[in-house]
Amino acid sequence: MLHRIILVREWDTQVAASGCCGRLGGENSELGEKETFAANRCEMEAMGEVYRALKAELFDEDAEITVVDPRNMVWLIPSLLKDARKRGFGIAETWSHLRRGVSYTAIVVDGKTLFSGRIPPVEDAVRAVREEISSAESEMAAV
Amino acid sequence: MPAIVIAVLVAVAFFLGYRFYSKYLAEKVYALDKSRPTPAHEFEDGVDYVPTNKHVLFGHHFTSVAGAAPIVGPAIAVFWGWVPALCWVVLGTIFAAGVHDFGALVVSIRNRAQNLGTLSATVINARARTLFLLIIFFLLTLVNAVFAVVIAILFEAFPASVIPIFFEIPLAIFIGQYIYRTRSSALVPSLIGVGLLYLSILLGQVFPIDLSPVASAVGLEVRTLWVIILFAYTFIASRLPVWMLLQPRDYINSHQLFIALGVIFLGILVGFDRIVAPAINTDLPAGSPYWFPFLFITIACGAISGFHSLVSSGTTSKQLDNEEDARYVGYFGAVGEGSLALGAILACTAGLGTYAAWQEKYVDFGTASEGAVGNFVAGVGHFANNLGIPLAIATTFAAVVVVSFAATTMDTGVRLQRYIIQEIAEVARIRPLTRNITIATGIAVLVPMGLALYPSDAGGESGFAFGYLWRLFGTTNQLTAGLALAVVAVWVFTRGRNPLAQIIPLVFLLSMTVWALFIQIGEFYARGDWLLTIVDALIFVLALWLIVEAIGAFRRAREHRATGRTAGEG
Repeated sequence: MLHRIILVREWDTQVAASGCCGRLGGENSELGEKETFAANRCEMEAMGEVYRALKAELFDEDAEITVVDPRNMVWLIPSLLKDARKRGFGIAETWSHLRRGVSYTAIVVDGKTLFSGRIPPVEDAVRAVREEISSAESEMAAV
Repeated sequence: MPAIVIAVLVAVAFFLGYRFYSKYLAEKVYALDKSRPTPAHEFEDGVDYVPTNKHVLFGHHFTSVAGAAPIVGPAIAVFWGWVPALCWVVLGTIFAAGVHDFGALVVSIRNRAQNLGTLSATVINARARTLFLLIIFFLLTLVNAVFAVVIAILFEAFPASVIPIFFEIPLAIFIGQYIYRTRSSALVPSLIGVGLLYLSILLGQVFPIDLSPVASAVGLEVRTLWVIILFAYTFIASRLPVWMLLQPRDYINSHQLFIALGVIFLGILVGFDRIVAPAINTDLPAGSPYWFPFLFITIACGAISGFHSLVSSGTTSKQLDNEEDARYVGYFGAVGEGSLALGAILACTAGLGTYAAWQEKYVDFGTASEGAVGNFVAGVGHFANNLGIPLAIATTFAAVVVVSFAATTMDTGVRLQRYIIQEIAEVARIRPLTRNITIATGIAVLVPMGLALYPSDAGGESGFAFGYLWRLFGTTNQLTAGLALAVVAVWVFTRGRNPLAQIIPLVFLLSMTVWALFIQIGEFYARGDWLLTIVDALIFVLALWLIVEAIGAFRRAREHRATGRTAGEG
């Protein structure tokens, strides 16, 4: 079973409504300054640590780690709904995970939002993801 | 002809373009290789460089590139009839924008995800970087000027949209504070935000804000007053930290983009409206600009937009999972913007009711230019009305969407212009400008404001130069695209492959731009319009400079190739 781990956090760029005539960016942008998106850089770097730890932990497993900006709702919302449906979540549970998953920062495993609004310490994140993957596999095996 | 038939035919054309032409580009021109590691893998750090699923990346890329400009250009250009505008949007998207966006992405990933400015210095020469900065300076100046006028026109024509737009500011700030401070879900607040924004349309209907009494009290025209207010707002907004207004507004705008697209195409489907505009307008009044070459600078975004190369060579190139995904993300991103332009054409040709109504709004080029966004708003209002939304509310909804995008563009444009001014000041060693943000912001606001308020008898009945400013904006946008196409073409050529796919749109764009600029210089000079003559002449010089640099780069590349060496497959 392919597990989908979604790490939600904003990029250090502007996203909507003006890209055809100028888009504001941060540190690595053509036009912009490092300080403009300093807060986003902190979150990006913290989530980057989680990303690297998960990559190392799950390197030999059937798991796909995706980093996505919460403003990319056209992908994020259908994906969270699809994953929740695959797990057989009820409407209330799906809504709860969807609501918490479309957040400034979140970690979602196979449709289940494990952390929302904060980036946990790396060890906690890896442990929680590992447990959730096992739980999803047991559920699938039971089905 | 029913608009839905056009929409389907264009969708088929875009599909064929993607299916065959982008495949040719991917295989024969860019020689994509799935096994070659992309920067996302080579430098993978989970921060900037993250291999990302192509659908995720497309969502991010498309949301980033779509804006208000692909609406305004086509809405003006249907003045010449819907066929020329549609043909340029379709052919431009398939043979120019797709090549450009896709190519910029490929060159960036083959060069450690460097951005366009750096690439132009690497692939062409160091002067190209200065040229790039100067083109962007003019582009942003004109962007800010034209979008201020666009918003002012809409506020004057649709006073019910004023309250929702000004309500959106505290709403976005509140959503931002809520999301970032409480670290809560962004979904519910942003959806509630969009809901409240649209609810405030009802309030706007009850209390339309008409500035006529104030304007006459201070001895100004309504539009002039709005332009001044908008630049005062932009001066303040561009000094705020991005997390306060700009970023939270992104959440509202992301919803609005897809709601607007949904309304347009569903409205067309349900209403089965027919196009009332002539296929080719043969009834042009004397003195109208001829469609050739002006069509190709009137529609820039929507047919090809230079700024896309900055998005392609920025965040997107750092996330591409494998080279083959560049085709989907880059080429399809251009198709997405082309679809928005298609929506604008259909709104202004099928959404205006009757031929007589259309003719009244497109009676001459000045009226067509000034009324373009208003016509789009009326058309989208009509499509939304097909879905059962009362017409007055539907029209205000459309105005709110356009103004939200245009206001965001202005806020961004002034910030970007400030950086450009500081960077140019750095090169020119003008110390006060490099250090003082207030002065830099002041220049970034005052220069476009001066242009927006510049009186002219060319822009329509109200005596402003909007029509000309829009065309000048189009020329700078095409020059940015030209620079990116030149970079891509030289890169392809030095790798021993055929660069015709880039050279044809490059030569075409530069010819049309130079030709249009040349005609306009004569026109402005004859009228005694000194400011516009100077602006046009400066852009003309930049265009010639770009041509000289592009030819020089090709000559060097040819000499390099004549030695029997290529720069390699990569």
